Amino acid sequence: MKPVNAAMSSRQDQFEALVRGHSTDLYRYAYWLCGQEALAQDLVQDTFLRAWRALDRLREVSAVKAWLITILRREHARLFERKSMASDDIDDIDLPDPQATPERSTEESRLRQAMASLEPKYREPLVLQVLGGFSCSEIAEQLGLGEAAVMTQLFRARQKLKGQLGLEDPLAEVSEL
Amino acid sequence: MNCLEFRRHLGSEPGSQRKEFIAHREACPGCSAAQLRADAFESRLLNALRVQAPTNLADRILLAQTTEMRSGDRYRRRRFAMLTLAAAASILIAVVAVNRYDQPVPPLSAMVIEHLQEHVVHADDLAASLPPERVMEAFAERGVKLGSVPAGVDYVHKCPAGPYRTVHMVMPEAEGPITVVYVVDTPPAPGSSFRSGKDFGREVRMGQGSLVMIGPSDRHFESIAASWRDALGNAVAENQAKQIPESLTGELLILQSVITPYDAAGSSACTTCR
Repeated sequence: MKPVNAAMSSRQDQFEALVRGHSTDLYRYAYWLCGQEALAQDLVQDTFLRAWRALDRLREVSAVKAWLITILRREHARLFERKSMASDDIDDIDLPDPQATPERSTEESRLRQAMASLEPKYREPLVLQVLGGFSCSEIAEQLGLGEAAVMTQLFRARQKLKGQLGLEDPLAEVSEL
Repeated sequence: MNCLEFRRHLGSEPGSQRKEFIAHREACPGCSAAQLRADAFESRLLNALRVQAPTNLADRILLAQTTEMRSGDRYRRRRFAMLTLAAAASILIAVVAVNRYDQPVPPLSAMVIEHLQEHVVHADDLAASLPPERVMEAFAERGVKLGSVPAGVDYVHKCPAGPYRTVHMVMPEAEGPITVVYVVDTPPAPGSSFRSGKDFGREVRMGQGSLVMIGPSDRHFESIAASWRDALGNAVAENQAKQIPESLTGELLILQSVITPYDAAGSSACTTCR
């Protein structure tokens, strides 16, 4: 199902489809951006309220996800500007593991902790790529960076994660070849 | 693409669809295995990142949106109503301001202006400031007892203006002399500010009569009226007003049509008064 159906006559229907199609992904992105469930929920709500007001300006249905992410990033920046909070310290926050159950592997929890401890400049492009499915060029556009810089950050992000988890370094493996 | 380039690219974009990336993977068993390990890691990473969203998140957002929409509508309606009121008030003020002097000259003032065309006060007639007794005397002869006399009355004379009994005065101001005529027992018409040629005019209720002010500027009308209000206090005309014949209204309208700009510096004398 397309998130926004051009044939929909009602603006409200269009918005509802947008919310139902993207709120979960947006929440996850917000969560990894700020590290707090309640704040992430507020951010997503504020994002959609802004999206509602600006819905008439949405021209490309295919770009809706990037559009929402842009709004959310701005909301996040605005929020931290208002509260004078440091946005890059989510590793200081004791992240609960929302999916922690005895059946879940400890590796997943360790991965989450490792993600939370990553610097935002590594964490954010990785979340956009893995969760959002954006290409390097799209992430570069979203973050206002060069594509090469984004690729470097993504490589280092994975390298750091694997390092924390004790997994092999792909480049070290190459040098052994 | 060599192995090092492949692994670098794999670390940046494991799901890459670049031709040289795919070609190297198919040709290199070591890198193909690295891709499999990378895919497994990506899968675990994706699962880790997929934190559970709050239950009914979408419904909560939609509820917030409809609530905001309603309050926004209320706010917009209230704002629209306020703007409409403000616009109406502005228009009213503008209309009043613009039309304040677009009013036709009221009959009483028309008669006074007609009188002034004949009764022109010469510069020689003006005293620096008349003794208050002279002014009080003029009013007393019209049956009005003044409590005090405002400063700066340079000329005073009892004049008939048509059927009205008046006291004709001149009070100099910076912009030029203001003719102040007290009409003893006739109240002014409502909304009585007007223009007559280049001159400004205003009728103000004063006791049972009217104060008619005519001059090159209306800047001092308020203060002149206030000073005369103080002077008159509770003074009441002792004599009753003459009844104005019903036919007079028509006569006044005719007079109005022949009004010419008042010239305080004119030189013709008032034969009626002298």
